[in-house]
Formats: sequence, C-alpha cells, structure tokens
Amino acid sequence: MRYVLVGAWCSLLLCGMVNAHDMIPTYPKFTTTFVTGVLKTRMEIFNKREDVSYYELGAFDAEWNPIPFVTSYKLIKMDYLAHAEFDVYIKQEDKPRLEYICSKSKLMKDDVATSAIASRICSRVK
Amino acid sequence: MRKTLLIVLAFGIGYGFGTVAFATDNYITGSVESRCLITTDTPGVYGNPLPQKLSTAVADGGVLPKVRVTVTLADAYKAKITTPVGFSSSPALSDSVAWTGATIVASTSDAGMSGYEAAKVVYDASTEFDLTVAGSTWFTSESAATYGYDKSFPGGNYTAVVTAECIAK
Repeated sequence: MRYVLVGAWCSLLLCGMVNAHDMIPTYPKFTTTFVTGVLKTRMEIFNKREDVSYYELGAFDAEWNPIPFVTSYKLIKMDYLAHAEFDVYIKQEDKPRLEYICSKSKLMKDDVATSAIASRICSRVK
Repeated sequence: MRKTLLIVLAFGIGYGFGTVAFATDNYITGSVESRCLITTDTPGVYGNPLPQKLSTAVADGGVLPKVRVTVTLADAYKAKITTPVGFSSSPALSDSVAWTGATIVASTSDAGMSGYEAAKVVYDASTEFDLTVAGSTWFTSESAATYGYDKSFPGGNYTAVVTAECIAK
C-alpha cells in the first residue's frame, strides 16, 4: 500500500512538473542601451507545457493598455522543455507608464480537446 | 637591524594569516528570487447533461479543469482565473449562449493558505486570489454554457479556454 501511495505521488509530481509555464524575473530592471532614449531588460521563459509551442509577449500600463515595445519576436516559438531569453526594448518616455511585461501561452486549435487552460505570467516593473 | 627584522617578520606573519584566512573562507552565495509557476494539471472536459447545456461539473458528466499556481516567495503575486465567456471553436450557432462560471481553491500546500477562498475577489468571469503564502495552490473552475431558450446545441466539437494568470504585485 505504501509503495502504491509513493508511486501515485511520484506520478502526480512528474505529471505536474512537465506542464508548467514560468517566466523570470518577477521585477525586471531596465538598463540603458547604445541608442539614446531606449531602455532594455532581459527576460526568460521556460516552456514546460507539452501542449504549448508558442508564447505571446505583451507590455501594459497599470490599466492594462498596451505599451509599444520591441523584441526579436512578439510570438516566440518554443519547444517543449526549452528555455528562451529575450530582450525587451522600450522608449525611455514610456518607462514611467510601463507596469507589466507578460507572456501568454498560445494554444493551437488542433491541440485543444474540449476545454483547455491558457496561462499568462506577468512581471511587474517597479 | 633587529628592529627592522622584527617589523618585516610581523608584516610577513600578518600577510600570512591574512592569506590563510582568505584561502579558508570559501563563500557560496545565492539568492532566492520570487517566481511563479502555472501548472496545468487537468485541462477539463465538458459534459452534455441536457441537449442545451454543456458543463464541466462532475454531476453533469464533465471534468473540472484544474490548475496549480506555485509561488516561491510570499506576497509577490496574485492569481487570476478567468472562466470562458465564449467558445474558441464550435459549430455555427444561430442563438446566444449564456455562460456561468466559478473558481474555487481545491487544495493548498500550506495551512496558512486556508483564507484564500474567503478572501477571493470575483468580478465578471474572473476570480482573483492574493497569494500571501509561498507554496502551491490548486484551483478548479466550473463552467457551463446554456444555449438559447430550450434549444439543442448543434452536433460537433466545442472548445473553450480557461485562462490562468499570475500577476506580480
């Protein structure tokens, strides 16, 4: 009985471990760039969701209005268990308004059975 | 001459001790960073208890979607779960669909999280939980769609999406 319980816990943990979305840092810090008036910060996403291959990035103010920003790709393709680093560039004049930098999982229509869970993680710019 | 020798010797001993002290103190540094992990434990399935109803409730033959939110530091994030207010794909529908939804705390990894359910904030289709304790919280969402007025849902596949968010405070 004990082994059954341990096995159940292990399988539960393993199943849980491999279907997750993670993004750091929680509180990104912006630094200056070689372009005057442009700031940048580096973010990282970990894709532990087997059912997700794309993550969409967004920058928002406190009222969730979008703020213009630049990255290599706003829609990042990520393999399962892959980890991606990307730089977010914003104008210095937009920095006081910037509140959140978010990544949201994009679900493929073919991968959704009847009900699916989209995940979004938002870091806060303090 | 003897005084000079003593001074040199004293410096040598001092330097030697200093060097030894540096050699033996190997510091391992690290920092705990706040982070949030959203884990999709169960995607959920709609049951079809009545011709005009689709529901994830277990009593209706559905499976509740379950999501786990893990935070490593207390009081750094809030979780927001939003139940569907529309199908992401469905057959052509000629009438309106009424949606209802609710999200509850299913289980927690820490007894200190027992107040999450009472303190939750509900608005529109969203429910917000203030994650004031480090650890994992499991949320389940019940979602139901009722079609028109006593109309049957057309045959086909229906999909809807629950959104789980982790927002830094």
